Amino acid sequence: MRVRATRVLLAVAVLGAFGTAGFVLAPAVEAPKERSFTVRAHRYGYEPERMRVNRGDRVRLKLESKDVVHGFFLEGHDLDATIVPLRAAVEFRRPSRPGVREEVAEVNFTAEHEGKFRYRCSQTCGFLHPFMQGELVVGPNRLLPVALALVLGMLVAGFFLARFPARRA
Amino acid sequence: MSEPAPRIDPTSPADGETTPAPLTRGRRIDLFRAIPGLGWLAKRRSFQFWVVLPNLFLFLLFLTAGIAGTPVGNRNIIIVFVWILWWFLLISLLVPFVSRIWCTVCPFPFFGEWAQRRALIKVRAVAPKDRKSGPGVVIGRNRYFGLNLKWPKRLSNIWIQNIGFLFLCTFAALFLTRPIVSVVVLGSLFVIATTLHLIYRQRAFCSYVCPVSGFLSLYSMSSTVEVRAKDAGVCDKCKDKGCLAGSEKGWGCPWYVYPSKLDRNNYCGLCMECVKTCPSDNITVNARPFCSDRLLKGWDEAWKAFIMLSLALAYSVTFLGPWGFIKDWANVAEKQDWAGFATYTAILWATALVIVPGIYAAAVGLGRFIVRKVPGAALPFKDVFLGFVYPLVPLGLLTWIAFSLPLILVNGSYIAMVISDPFGFGWDLFGTANMHWTPVVPEWTPYIQVVLLLGGLFFALRVGFAHATRLYRETRVALRAFLPVGCLLGVFVGSLIFLYAA
Repeated sequence: MRVRATRVLLAVAVLGAFGTAGFVLAPAVEAPKERSFTVRAHRYGYEPERMRVNRGDRVRLKLESKDVVHGFFLEGHDLDATIVPLRAAVEFRRPSRPGVREEVAEVNFTAEHEGKFRYRCSQTCGFLHPFMQGELVVGPNRLLPVALALVLGMLVAGFFLARFPARRA
Repeated sequence: MSEPAPRIDPTSPADGETTPAPLTRGRRIDLFRAIPGLGWLAKRRSFQFWVVLPNLFLFLLFLTAGIAGTPVGNRNIIIVFVWILWWFLLISLLVPFVSRIWCTVCPFPFFGEWAQRRALIKVRAVAPKDRKSGPGVVIGRNRYFGLNLKWPKRLSNIWIQNIGFLFLCTFAALFLTRPIVSVVVLGSLFVIATTLHLIYRQRAFCSYVCPVSGFLSLYSMSSTVEVRAKDAGVCDKCKDKGCLAGSEKGWGCPWYVYPSKLDRNNYCGLCMECVKTCPSDNITVNARPFCSDRLLKGWDEAWKAFIMLSLALAYSVTFLGPWGFIKDWANVAEKQDWAGFATYTAILWATALVIVPGIYAAAVGLGRFIVRKVPGAALPFKDVFLGFVYPLVPLGLLTWIAFSLPLILVNGSYIAMVISDPFGFGWDLFGTANMHWTPVVPEWTPYIQVVLLLGGLFFALRVGFAHATRLYRETRVALRAFLPVGCLLGVFVGSLIFLYAA
C-alpha cells in the first residue's frame, strides 16, 4: 500500500514538473499590436484558414464572402456577423444581446484571452455548413506546450515509476 | 500504471508456451442485487419488445423526415438526431457505461427477428417428442422459421464489418449532411438485416455484418457493465444449458454466446434471453471497472482498432480542421472533385488498413527485438501484437469522444429547433423552431479534448503495460518490450493534441 501511494505521489510530482515546465517554457507574449486581416468566406472554409495574434492585440477584420451569405461567429468573443456577397458592410451582433444588430465595415475586438478559438459559419450556407470553420490562435496559447509536456511526463512517469515496486521488492 | 508482476519463472514453459495470467480482474457488483427491480425487469418476456418499439417508431419517423422533409441537414430531424445526438450518446455514454445496450434497443433486426420467430414476445418452445413434426426448424428447444442456414465459417469474423464500416465512412461527408443519403444508408441496413434474418440463423447480421456492431463490439470491452455467470461452477454442472438451447422461458442465445464461457463483452448483445432461460438463475449483470476485458482474439479485431483510430484522426482533420479543400475532397457530390475524392479515399483506406497497422507492427517488432536476448522472451509475434494493440481500445474510445464532443456542444441547439419542426416544414410545435444557433461553451472544447486524450493515453499505457507484464512476466523486460509502442501512443496523442490545440 505504501509503495502504491508513493508511486502515485511520484507520478503526480513528475506530471506537475512537466506541466509547469511546459507552462514556463511557452513563448513570451510580445507587446500588443494592431493587426488587420481580410477574411474571405466561401463554401466551406475561410481564407485565411488560421489567424495568429497575441493576447492584448487589437484585431480588425474585414469580412467578405466569395459566394453565398455566410456567418462569422467567433468562439469566446461574443461576436457574430453576417456576410453578404458584394456588400462592403456586414451585419454585426453580439450573441449576449439578442435583437441588437448594426451594420459595420469592420469587426474590431481585442484578443483578451489566450488559446485557440474557432470562427464558424452561423448562416446555413450549404450541406457542409456545420463544419465550415477557421481558427484564431491567440498566443502564447499555453495549453499546447503544457499538454504536450504532460504527454511526455506521462510516458516518463509510466516507464520509470512502473519499475519502482520491483526495485522496492 | 503497473500491477505486481511475477518474475520470470525459470521452470516456466518454453517460448510461446507461457500460461497467461488472467486478464479479467477487479471488483464486480451484481446489479440485479444492487438495483431493486432490475432483475425482475430483465426477466420479463416483453422487456426487449417494449424498449425496441419506441425506437422503431422514432426510426420510421426519421426515415419519413429524410424522404419528405427539408434537404437542409441541420434542419431535418434525421441528421440532427441520428448523427449529432445519437452518435454522441452512443460513443460517449452508452458504450463506455452500458456496453452494447444499443443492440438491446436497436430497431434494425426487429422485422427480421419477428419473421424468424413468428413471435414478438412469446417463445416457441418445442417438446422433445415434437422436434420432428410441425413447421419451421427446431434449434435447441426453440422453433424458428425462414431458411436458418448456418453462417459460413470463413466469414465468422468481423472483417465484413471492418470493410463495411470503412466503406460507409468514406462517404461520411454525404450522409452526415444530406437527409436522403442518410435514408439510403439506414434504410439499406434495415433491409439487409431483415433479409439476412430470413436466410441465416439468429443474429448473423448483428454478429458479422452490421457496421455499427463492429465498433460496438470493440469498445464494449472497455464498458463498465457486463453480462456474466454468477458462478461458473453452476454452469459446468448444468445439464439443461437453457441459455444456449432455449426453453419455454426464452430463446437460445441469438448471438450464439455461451454465458458460462463469456469472458468478454464483444459479442453479447445484452438481449437478456440467457437471464430468462437459465434454470439456476445464475446469470446476472455486473458493474465492473473500466477496461476490464483485455484480450483481442484475432487480426480482425486488431484491424478494427486500427480502422477506428484512423477514422477518428481522419474525421478530426476533415470535419474539425480549418482546411476547406479537404472538405471539398470529401464532399464529392456537391463539388464534383473526383480526383480529390479519389485522393481522400486512397489516403483514408491506406492509413486505416496499411500505414497505421504497419507503423504499429514496426513498433511491436522493435520491442520484441529489444528483448530478444532475454531468456523466455521470444514470444510469438501475434501474441505480442494482439496484446499491444489492446491499448488502442481505451485510447480509440476516448479519441472518438474527443472528436464527438464539439459536434454536440456546437450543434446541440439544432436539437431544440428540430424538435419543434422535425421535417423543416415551418412548424413550431414547442416554440423553439426559430431559436438562434447557440454553441455551448465552444471555447472550452480544446481543454476538454486535451483532458480526454490524456485520459486515453493514461488508460492505454496502463493496460498496455498490464499486457506486457502478462506476456513477459518480469517488469523490466515488459517495460523494454512495451517502450516503442508506448512512445508511439504518446506520439499519436501528441499529434491529436497539436491538431486540436495548436
